Amino acid sequence: MSVFEGFRFRRVLSPIHQLDPRVKFLYVCAVFGIAVMFNQLLPLILLFLIQLPFVLAAGVQKEWIRSMKGASFLALMIFLFNFLFTYFYREYPIFPPSSSLLEYSLAMTLRFIVLVESFSIFFLTTSPDRLGLALEQSHVPYEFCFAFTTAVRFVPVLAEEAQTIMDAQKARGLELERGNFIKRIRNYIPILIPLIVSAIRRSLELAEAMESRAWGATNKRTNLYVLKIERGDYILAVISVGMLILAVYIWLFMREQIPSLIPLITAQNV
Amino acid sequence: MDDILCESRTVNKTLAIINTSGLIYTYPGGREPSLVDVSLTIEKGDYVILTGPSGCGKTTLCRCLNGLIPHFYSGKLEGEIKVASLTVSEHSIYELAKHVGLVFQNPENQLFALSVEKDVAFGLENLGVPREDMRARVDWALQMTGIYDLRERAPHELSGGQQQRVAIACVLAMKPDIMVLDEPTSFLDPLGAQKIFEVIGDLNKKLGITVILVEHRLDLASKYANHVIVMDEGKVVLDGKPLDVFDSESARLIGVGIPKATRLYQALRQSGVYLNRVPVNSQEATLLLQEVLTRDRG
Repeated sequence: MSVFEGFRFRRVLSPIHQLDPRVKFLYVCAVFGIAVMFNQLLPLILLFLIQLPFVLAAGVQKEWIRSMKGASFLALMIFLFNFLFTYFYREYPIFPPSSSLLEYSLAMTLRFIVLVESFSIFFLTTSPDRLGLALEQSHVPYEFCFAFTTAVRFVPVLAEEAQTIMDAQKARGLELERGNFIKRIRNYIPILIPLIVSAIRRSLELAEAMESRAWGATNKRTNLYVLKIERGDYILAVISVGMLILAVYIWLFMREQIPSLIPLITAQNV
Repeated sequence: MDDILCESRTVNKTLAIINTSGLIYTYPGGREPSLVDVSLTIEKGDYVILTGPSGCGKTTLCRCLNGLIPHFYSGKLEGEIKVASLTVSEHSIYELAKHVGLVFQNPENQLFALSVEKDVAFGLENLGVPREDMRARVDWALQMTGIYDLRERAPHELSGGQQQRVAIACVLAMKPDIMVLDEPTSFLDPLGAQKIFEVIGDLNKKLGITVILVEHRLDLASKYANHVIVMDEGKVVLDGKPLDVFDSESARLIGVGIPKATRLYQALRQSGVYLNRVPVNSQEATLLLQEVLTRDRG
């Protein structure tokens, strides 16, 4: 069940983990905006490098590298498609005239990688609990926040249950790894049905327990924890907004002067 | 001070905290009623053990006590049930939840937050208790159940026994008058079960919470109880003091897990050895046997 491993949030104490999820989300949005603004290689490389200190400060390098590996196949596809399509359709309007085909394709790939990078920093350093709390304090209806945190809470439980059912069915002679692709998918039906049935039963029991603990007693629900914006949060907010303003300035006035990298490197080598 | 004590005692005697009369309930789509003419009186501060074979209606009765029946489960409810002087059918579950706490069998399915203290606070959050108050009550409940050190852990990382204590703390934080526990130890090992019984015993003794415990393991649980109810096929068949119930012939026939000490007493009686009292646990049995042995020697 390695698929579910990624959902298991590892509790670490680092300055990045302590930041308010709302401010971190602002940061992610700023990076997103900047990445979409530029299609040259140089600013995207800078954007990629700027984020590395966050990963190191949070101490989530291992998980981060794993998520980047997961994105590498998609990145490769993006590179190939960009390269092929721009090769055949050179009149494609946003293609910057100064850069080469290779550099343009690389930039598009890096744009994707930068997006994955910022989102993975966000999710690797934000506990689902705090994320739910941030949703709640952003006036998302409580039912949705509750559904979200409960879903996260039950992922490992359901994964364990799926494993138990798989073992039980295998013990009865079910062969999962047999036949062609379609057959293999069909093999999973005897696993899925008990899993769904037990999930429904579980949800009924959950509903009972919620009702017994005064669910829906008042509209003015209170909360044990409160998110407070602290100094670190202000710093990150200032960094994010600063980056965004700088990027907009460059985009407006200096876009044409951004040098393309490949001619620069080849020129030096010669 | 004495006056207040006396007063509360007289109130205790006259005021039953749970009162049902002629309770009949059929689940939606069920052919036969799951509860048949259940009439009970439980007094404030009682420690009640509710037992009987599987499918005899114990869980159904528990659901009636906090209003899950008839509000959550539809179906047909007849007769009258009053809990903490509220008529169950006329008050919503959340109103009843302030008076009756229900702990379920499977600890996994009643904890939904990502940290223990958040889970304990869940009921209070729903009731809209102010945060400072909530903090104090959560810490108090965690300390009463002996899991204060686990407060920042995720519930699914804990052992079954710890999870069940969290579930008890969750209910306790709401400061109920009555606590209903539906087979809280069936997923636990003997040591975990023992701990749960100790915690429940404390709540009853120190805080005066009325406890209704559904249980099969009477050996461990009966030490604390002062009232035993045996159900079979939806009816209440025995209702009285633990000793009387355990010693009765019908309890044995229904298949109630009579404590081994009581069984020893019965076996001795058949072979002509009479102990002075009916023991319910091994310590008592040991004392009584010693008495008999020294008397015989003397």
